[in-house]
Amino acid sequence: MRIGIGISQKSDIISALQEVIKQAKKQLTGERPNIGFIFTSMEFASPVILKTLNLYFPQVPIVGATTLAIPFNSRIYRRSLILCLISSENLKVAVAAAKDIKKKTAFVAGQELGIQLLKNFGYQKRNFAMLFCDGLLEEGSKFLAGLQEKLGTSFPIAGASASDNLRFKQTYLYFNNELITDAAVGILWGGKIKFNMSIHHGWKPLGKTRRVTKSKGNLLIEIDNQPAANFYKEYFAKEMPLLKKDLKYISTLYPIGLYLEGEKEYILRNIIAIEEDGSLICQGDVPQDSIIRIMIGTKDSCLSATRQTAEDLVKASPAITLSKNNIDVIFIFDSVSRYILLKRSAEEELKTIQETVPKEINLFGLYTYGEQAPLKAITYEGKTYFHNQSIVLTAVGE
Amino acid sequence: MLYPTIILVLLFSILIVLLFLKIEKNKELHMQIKQLQKSLDEIDEQAKLILRTDIELNKTQEDLDRKITSLYALQNISREITTTLDEQQIFQHIKNYHLEDLGFEKSLAFLWKKMNEKFILVLNIGYTPQEIENIIAALNDDFYLKIIENKYTVSSFTLSDASLNKKIKEIFKVQSFIIAPLLPTEGDKGFLLVGTEYPEANLSEGSEELINILANQISQALENARLFEKTWQTQQELEKKIEERTQELSKALEDIKIISKRKTDFVSAVSHELRTPLTSIKGYTSILLSEKLGGIPPSVKERLEKINHHTDELVHLINDLLDISRIESGKITMKQEVCSLKEIIDKIADLLTIQLKEKNIQLTRQILPGAEYIFADRQHIERVFINLIGNAIKFTPSNGTISIKSSPFNDQCQIDIADTGIGIPEESLNYIFEEFYRVDNPINQKLKGTGLGLSLVKRIIEAHGGSIWVKSKLNEGTTFSFTIPKPT
Repeated sequence: MRIGIGISQKSDIISALQEVIKQAKKQLTGERPNIGFIFTSMEFASPVILKTLNLYFPQVPIVGATTLAIPFNSRIYRRSLILCLISSENLKVAVAAAKDIKKKTAFVAGQELGIQLLKNFGYQKRNFAMLFCDGLLEEGSKFLAGLQEKLGTSFPIAGASASDNLRFKQTYLYFNNELITDAAVGILWGGKIKFNMSIHHGWKPLGKTRRVTKSKGNLLIEIDNQPAANFYKEYFAKEMPLLKKDLKYISTLYPIGLYLEGEKEYILRNIIAIEEDGSLICQGDVPQDSIIRIMIGTKDSCLSATRQTAEDLVKASPAITLSKNNIDVIFIFDSVSRYILLKRSAEEELKTIQETVPKEINLFGLYTYGEQAPLKAITYEGKTYFHNQSIVLTAVGE
Repeated sequence: MLYPTIILVLLFSILIVLLFLKIEKNKELHMQIKQLQKSLDEIDEQAKLILRTDIELNKTQEDLDRKITSLYALQNISREITTTLDEQQIFQHIKNYHLEDLGFEKSLAFLWKKMNEKFILVLNIGYTPQEIENIIAALNDDFYLKIIENKYTVSSFTLSDASLNKKIKEIFKVQSFIIAPLLPTEGDKGFLLVGTEYPEANLSEGSEELINILANQISQALENARLFEKTWQTQQELEKKIEERTQELSKALEDIKIISKRKTDFVSAVSHELRTPLTSIKGYTSILLSEKLGGIPPSVKERLEKINHHTDELVHLINDLLDISRIESGKITMKQEVCSLKEIIDKIADLLTIQLKEKNIQLTRQILPGAEYIFADRQHIERVFINLIGNAIKFTPSNGTISIKSSPFNDQCQIDIADTGIGIPEESLNYIFEEFYRVDNPINQKLKGTGLGLSLVKRIIEAHGGSIWVKSKLNEGTTFSFTIPKPT
């Protein structure tokens, strides 16, 4: 597998593109890429990127998303764009996109994407799927459920929700020659390739356990028979207007932890908004009767979770034959919450990963408003869940 | 009958005891549950404390981080705007990412043009041309001129006039804003506005201060650029003037050269013309004086001798004039050879012995090692010495001293001829090498001279590639110094 990666921080979009294309092409040494990944900061979100890439690489599927910053090897690049071209005879990929999710409803759009992916991929060995979602998509879990209905409930999926410059205003996805929003882009990977995925977050539970007494999908209505918002009001001693004002901040640092039998870590849920009746709109589903707790993260717990994720990725598992030495590239889908929590030490996450995986392996990806990855516990049979605040590593090799 | 009753009572008693025990156990369990519940509640209370402290800590840390980022941004802007001295470019160096690091995404800057009496836009980040048009149309000049005049910064959180606050927010389409005056001491002043659409942006007085610093830096850069522009323009004007003057001077010099050549030619021609009749006069006077044509009375002889003497002086004058004009026009080339200074000086001293003795003047000479030989036209250099030593004798009162010193000076010899004479007045020093210039002093009034000697000396020295200068003090003495090449 040949990997060509180019990164640029030039402010002019055309010169930045020329720079990344030049770098990436050089590393491919003339091989034709099977697929191209493009991640850019909001400044670069423009169809010009796709037009140019299509000119240089006609017929090559191009996928990607906008991001707050780009993690690449040991550094984090702001106001930049990265292009990764992957070329291999053994690799088979298919891409598809689901648009107008709000109109279609998340579940139906997820199903649609699954159908389209399978159709484009044909009858071949499928390994795993990758998913890029609009970062402001409210019903991430439902979309995932729709997709899983078509791809198989235990089919591994690694996903990332695009981010913007922390304005939570608009995110974009790159799909062949279209710059899209209110959408999701899927990539089905197959052929004679190997892969592995791992996920952790490092947030710890605090205080009493509570029970979700009333919920509907991602709408958390009551906790312990009280309006759900009371949960945060009590913990932070903030009245509704102040709570609403600080919501993004509070929810990022102190999400709700969902207890899952057998899993070591709680699944985290960010709050997107508070309804008038005190219900909380979460980014992923919160099933009724779930046991929940408030979660707290520290830089240390966050970094040790990153180390754990990297260790899990390279741990030889009988089911996955990808060993440390055959990894060609590692995708990082890293939650923006971690970036906010770690602040100036955000690059330490990358250094922590590099301490575990061989240094020469290219490591790149994006910062996300939500992540998707399978759970490890046997009870869940590797089913992919919607996560928040987590770091997902996906290693691909031959 | 009694037996079963006893058993029943016993069983009942046991049951009662068991029930009692159970109740007790239950009570205990309840107590434990209550305690556990209490502990859990307490833990939850502690959790609240932890969370509230943690969020405060995080906010403080974030505030600090934002300030550090802002300071970095400020430093970067400052570094970039100070690299340019072009006023137009200063604002181009302020980029949207700088602004983002300062916590804003929109910015405008205007400068007040006194000539046109209106604000001119010089910086725009985050606004469309249509929005700019609307802003300019709605701009209340007086308010912003007041900001400039009073040198104060206003912001959405310090402006007390609520309706004005709201109006500014509407005009600039922002939720928070800071407006700071741009006050360069040179030229047009103006104002800088930064703003953000996001209500979550945590602006504080610290932000106001930062923007103030930024405005000051921009003002400073504007001032520097304007001063530079001014200096540059002055320099350009000066250079132009210098060039014009140089051209004028070159032209004047050309004119002078032409005139000078004409003069030389004229002097040369006239001298030649004069010499022919003078030769005849001299010849006939000599014949008459020799009395070959018959005896002459003493009174006639006396007159004839005067004619002869004056003719000699005239010939001498004409020869000097001719030499000067020849040297000037380049007609004479110096036939340079290696000459011993000692020999030359001895010869001249010999020649002037009578005059020296008459006034009892001491002639000393000092030839330093490395300055024994010169590379010069012997005949001409002897004239230099005769003239200079002759002058020294002429202007040195009896019992004085004339000293000659030769010392090496790079690839030349420097020769100093110093006397203890009457000296030359300062105002005459600049003119003594000019033709026909004679210093006004009693000796010159008494003794005759052509006023060509020093002029000739200067020309001979310069024709050798040397130079001559003079230092003098009235009643103390004069030193003539000149340089002449050494043999290579």
